[in-house]
Amino acid sequence: MRDYWLSKLFFDLQSPALAAEFKASRDSVLARYSLSPEVRDAIGENNVPFLAQRTNAYLLRYYFFATGMKDAEFIRRLRGG
Amino acid sequence: MGKFVGSFAASHGPLLVREWEAVPADQKDRLTKAFQTLGRKLGAAQPDVLVVVSPDHWSNFFLDNYPAVCIGVGDSSEGPPEPWMQAFPQREIPGHPEFALHLLNQSMKDGFEPSVSHRLKLDHGVCIPLWRMQLDEMPAIVPMLVNSIEPPMPSLARCLQWGTLIRNSIETYPEPLRVAVLATGGLSHSIGEKTMGAIHEDFDRETIRLFASSDKSLVHFLEKELPSRGNGSEEVRNWLVAHGAAGGRGFELVDYLPVPTVIVGCGFASWR
Repeated sequence: MRDYWLSKLFFDLQSPALAAEFKASRDSVLARYSLSPEVRDAIGENNVPFLAQRTNAYLLRYYFFATGMKDAEFIRRLRGG
Repeated sequence: MGKFVGSFAASHGPLLVREWEAVPADQKDRLTKAFQTLGRKLGAAQPDVLVVVSPDHWSNFFLDNYPAVCIGVGDSSEGPPEPWMQAFPQREIPGHPEFALHLLNQSMKDGFEPSVSHRLKLDHGVCIPLWRMQLDEMPAIVPMLVNSIEPPMPSLARCLQWGTLIRNSIETYPEPLRVAVLATGGLSHSIGEKTMGAIHEDFDRETIRLFASSDKSLVHFLEKELPSRGNGSEEVRNWLVAHGAAGGRGFELVDYLPVPTVIVGCGFASWR
C-alpha cells in the first residue's frame, strides 16, 4: 500500500531547503500535505513500522536519514524493537 | 556503423561515499582496485559513448509517474542531486542525443516503449561508479534508467531483451561510433526493510557463477531468489541488460566482496 501524500512528503524532503524548513517548523511543512491524523501521529512518534507499511522502503530510509536518525536506531525501530 | 566495445558492471551505494572512511583498510583497497581495474578496462575499450544502466533512486521520478525504463536523450544530464555527492566533479554530464534517439527509435520499432527524458538528474547510482573508476576521459553518457526500486518492475527476461536491443541499436547506428554498456547496482543488499544490512553472499556468488558461465538457468534462478534477497538485489536487472548487450557470453569477475560497512555485496565485472 502506498500513502501518496506521506510518500510525497518523504520525496520532497530530499530537497535540503525543505529539509531545513522541516527541522525548523515541522508543523507548517506537514500542513501542506494531506496526511491522515494517524500518519501525522506516526511521523511525530517516529513510528517506523507504521510508516514502513505505507511508503517505499527507500523513501522511508531517506526520510529518517534526513531527520538524523542513525541507521542502527532506524533498523531497531523497523524491526519493532 | 557503430561498434559495441564492451559491457561492464559495478555496484554502487550511498555508503561507499558517506561511510568511506569507516570501511576497513583491506576492503577499501580492494574496492579501490576493483573500480580502477574496471576503469582501465573501460578506458582501453575507448568508447565514444557509454550507456549507463542504473535505477533512479527517486531523483527524477515519483509515484505520479514511475516509468519501467527511461532513456535520456538530452545534450547533457545534471550531476548528482544528493547533497553528499556534491564533490562529484561534474555538474553537467554531456550526453549523445544522436545515439540516444537512435536507441529510442529502434526500441519503438522493435515493440519496446520506454519513457524518454531530455533532462535527467544522474544520481549516485550512475555517478559513484563513474567517479570511482577514475576514467582519464569521460565518454558521452546515455543514461538508461531501469526501475528496480518501486514495484511492479520490468521482468528479468525483458531486461535481457533490452540488452539485445541496445546491441542491435549500436550495430545499426549509421556512423562510426564506439559504444560500451555499464550496469550499476547490486549485488545483494536491503534498504529500508527489516532485513536492512543483510548481505547474501551465497546468492551473490551463485549469481556471479551463472553470469560468468552464461548459464541458461540464470533468469530462472534470479526469478526464484530475488524476492528473498533484499530489495537492493533487484538492481541485478541492470546486469542482465549488460549481459544481453554482450550476447550472454559470460564475464570475467574483477572482484566480489561483501562489505558490511556499506551494506552491499559489491561486485565488479567485465563481459567477454
